[in-house]
Amino acid sequence: MKVVECNGLTKAYLKKEALKGLTFSLEDHKITGLIGRNGAGKTTLLKLIAGFTKETSGEIKVFGERPFNSLSVSANSIFVDDQMSFPPALQLAELLEEAARFYHNFDSGLAKRLFDYFGFKADGYHNRLSKGKTSIFNGIIGIASRCPLTIFDEPTTGMDESARKDFYRALLKDYIAHPRSIILSSHHIDEIEDLLEDVLLLKEGKQLLHEPVSELKEWAHGIKGPSEKVLKASEGHDILYRQLTGADTLYAAVRDFSGTLLDAAAGAGLEVTPVRVSDLFIYLTNETKGGIDDVFSQN
Amino acid sequence: MSLARTSSGDIVKRQYAFKLKAHIDSYSSLVGIQMLALLFSFGGVGSMGSYGDGLNLEVKYYSSDLVLVFTAIWAFVTATTLTTRPYRNHDFTFVSNRLTSSLSNILFLASISLAGALTAMLAGNLLKVFVFIFADGPIYNQGTGLADLAAGTVIALFYLFLVTSAGYLIGSLVQVSKLFVILIPVVFFGSLFLDAVANREPIVNNVFQFYIMESSLLLLMVKTLITSAALLAAAVAILNRLEVRR
Repeated sequence: MKVVECNGLTKAYLKKEALKGLTFSLEDHKITGLIGRNGAGKTTLLKLIAGFTKETSGEIKVFGERPFNSLSVSANSIFVDDQMSFPPALQLAELLEEAARFYHNFDSGLAKRLFDYFGFKADGYHNRLSKGKTSIFNGIIGIASRCPLTIFDEPTTGMDESARKDFYRALLKDYIAHPRSIILSSHHIDEIEDLLEDVLLLKEGKQLLHEPVSELKEWAHGIKGPSEKVLKASEGHDILYRQLTGADTLYAAVRDFSGTLLDAAAGAGLEVTPVRVSDLFIYLTNETKGGIDDVFSQN
Repeated sequence: MSLARTSSGDIVKRQYAFKLKAHIDSYSSLVGIQMLALLFSFGGVGSMGSYGDGLNLEVKYYSSDLVLVFTAIWAFVTATTLTTRPYRNHDFTFVSNRLTSSLSNILFLASISLAGALTAMLAGNLLKVFVFIFADGPIYNQGTGLADLAAGTVIALFYLFLVTSAGYLIGSLVQVSKLFVILIPVVFFGSLFLDAVANREPIVNNVFQFYIMESSLLLLMVKTLITSAALLAAAVAILNRLEVRR
């Protein structure tokens, strides 16, 4: 079953297009990572999926329905980010009770245990929490709600290292026990890489790729050696990134098109390394092939 | 994971209960504003004196009308607040669509109208108690008794609901464009000035008389309810198109 289906989806804010004709679909019971640079349109897409905003053109379907003003989509999905808005008059424990009244599958026991583990006080107030604590609390609601479609937009904003690890571990454990569709957007790709099954990569409002993570691990190879040899070996392939690491030593991340790259590199005696998925995303989404170094290089 | 089925009615009920709890602050502001109105009322709304043949007569009038006026202002402000972005966002944190959000708001507005009407009428009794304790001389009063209290509450309820409906519509217009913050007062006061210049009875006056001067309870209920329904329907239609959390 398709959980999310988009067809030529476009969203513009005052003439400026944040999403430009996205077409993709997300399968049921998968954790999909939504990756992209700042301003790539990740949050815009997630808010459209949650039904908060209206598409400008194109089509979006969630559980086969248009999400805007759909009660069924709202009941079966939850959108978690650090901007989640709760009435200031209610205490934290009361907010959990309210969430349990609205969300069909809400696990109050789990919510309470996480709540205690992270050291929340039942009589605390949401607007007095620190940035990291706000994210943790929102994350607890997101996990415990067990919505068939759970959307996390930068869920770890402000969390410290161990809280982030705990959060992702809790998410994974609960996901394994209760499979559901999860969309996760984050800038810390290293941390979520092992969690993700699929990746949807956005760049400037367009879809760059949508693939399983396992394939992305073999998507490109890093080749290092004398510049001339590296360039010769990668001829006919797509160079995603290049960096001079010494006087005449070049590192290049190259996408292998014909399966001949590795042989060519080995023949020339070049050093071949795998490209980490997180680095791959950086290379793919950068504007220039040389990254920030291009800004400072004179020529 | 199987999809949960929900009905609008069920969600409206849950949201309504949620709002009764979440907007607890509006009740305390109601108490505060009614206390203030009582304080003003305690000075008396008018007095009359006559002197002659060695006799000095002084009559002082007390009325708790001001409490109702202040309550109406409170109801209006509360209704407009409901349409603001943070309040609309609260609903969408949990399960909601725009229609259920508005319907539960309307139920909430009806409830605060009832709370406002009842407390405003009871505040009138409190004023009588104050006058009884602190004022000298014989006290004459009218409009006491359960029947009067009940009638007063019903009338106040319908007026307050009308006011909240107007507030909800105006609030939703402002959400569409902030221009209405200027436009609505300009139209209101502008028409007063225009009518004054043209030397005719202000149209605003006629509108007020149409509702306030109605002596039949049944007609009053019909008039205010139909108007409220029209105002709310317009507001719901407007809010139904608005995006949240953008």
